[in-house]
Amino acid sequence: MRIRVVDLGLVSPVRSQTVYHAVGYAFHPQSPPTILLVSPTDPYVSIGFHQDAQREVDLDYCRSVGLPVIRREVGGGAVYLDHNQVFTQWIFPRELVPLRVEDRFAWYVRPLIETYRRWGIDASWRPINDIHVRGRKIGGTGAASIGDAEILVGSLMLDFDTKQMARVLKVASEKMRDKVYQSLEEYMTTMRRELGTMPDRDQVVHTYLEQVSAVLGAELELGALTSEEEALAAELDERFASEEWLYQKGGLRESGIKIHADVRLHEAALKVPGGLIRVIVRTHGGRIDDVSFSGDFTLLPALGLAAIEQAVRGLSLKREEIAERIRQAYRALGLQSPGVAPDDFATAILHAVEPAR
Amino acid sequence: MRQDERVQVYRGCVIPLDLLYDVERDVWIRLEGEEATLGMTDPAQTRAGKLVAIRFKRPGTVVERGRALATIESGKWVGPFPAPFGCEILETNEAGFARDILLANRDPYGEGWLVRVRPLFREQLTELVSGEEAFQRYRERIDELGLNCFRCAE
Repeated sequence: MRIRVVDLGLVSPVRSQTVYHAVGYAFHPQSPPTILLVSPTDPYVSIGFHQDAQREVDLDYCRSVGLPVIRREVGGGAVYLDHNQVFTQWIFPRELVPLRVEDRFAWYVRPLIETYRRWGIDASWRPINDIHVRGRKIGGTGAASIGDAEILVGSLMLDFDTKQMARVLKVASEKMRDKVYQSLEEYMTTMRRELGTMPDRDQVVHTYLEQVSAVLGAELELGALTSEEEALAAELDERFASEEWLYQKGGLRESGIKIHADVRLHEAALKVPGGLIRVIVRTHGGRIDDVSFSGDFTLLPALGLAAIEQAVRGLSLKREEIAERIRQAYRALGLQSPGVAPDDFATAILHAVEPAR
Repeated sequence: MRQDERVQVYRGCVIPLDLLYDVERDVWIRLEGEEATLGMTDPAQTRAGKLVAIRFKRPGTVVERGRALATIESGKWVGPFPAPFGCEILETNEAGFARDILLANRDPYGEGWLVRVRPLFREQLTELVSGEEAFQRYRERIDELGLNCFRCAE
């Protein structure tokens, strides 16, 4: 197999997305399997095809700092991207890619994983489409069927700005934003973090191409885009930058902010006679990893709240189990909360996670 | 929901015999007079995996053969649910998928239908194949893919 490799270096934010769509739309039976390598000159926010921009992204903030928000025709969630990632975009004919989506990701991530390993980073595939390093995510991947091509996208994660990632998301409270940031810090990693120093882009790309060639048994040929692909990319630049494209209605989607394959953040508010209970729940593998309550209700003594949060950690998402632990905490500490029943806290947690179960 | 419950099963993949199929596009079709109900086949939902999102084109939209009636997302893959023939969308199962996004993974031939359409070109319908013929073709494909179908139980 011969693969055309096009290393575009740095391109505009919108072009870093439109280019693989363009190669996909222009794809015909004579087109070579193609791998594009590209990074954006400036940071931007990329949102998933079925996401609702207004619901998921803090558009006012993005506008105020001049950060473009660009919808892609690939799934997944909103992500803050900048020049510290090298996007590895594959545009292949259907017959060359595994047909089951899960197999397709396993196949696509192999050269990425091998690259990290060559750099001494203990990366492995975390199905369906994450790459992990000892429980931390070092980048996700996405896929799409576009025109006659199958597309797979991911990145070589030289570095990642978790602070900005947490800043651009639309969340109900600053407390939730802090939780997103903390969770990203805890559950994500990058080459820079693993190596203690920023790796050289060209050297990483060199390793990657060696691994692509070895894993696929393919001959790589450095090439350029055709004039048709260039023209199509220019057309798509306009479409992807349009308000109509950005503001199209989101599809039906599961709830919560995904940190990685096992970790999600959820939030909810529950009105009860004694006030409003706000809750942020982090789940890890279907269990409660972290909970944080706030609101305008009264709980005495005040340290009781931390005790309730502590009591439910590690529990699975079963209402009765959660409620019983909270009742135990009430009894042990003699907690009082006028107009708020112990079970209300359990209900709030279940409200937050329910749509995702 | 289906009246004729005769099915063929191969490696867990169910192919009801009373439906028509576009095997290439992995779509089942139930013709009812001037209208048709369409959905993902069992092999299609298995290959895609658990759905996480779906967006339907609006009723009234005319869609050419091969173009998307809806877009689906599973495990970060996005792809079309393609029209097996040129048609006008009459109704979508948006309400069903809003209740349960895994509808097509649990019950691909029943509750998990995607759209009801009006076929625009009768001659394109002759290219669809019967359940029996679809089953024979799927057997080959399933072997080729090494596929074992499964449904979401949770």
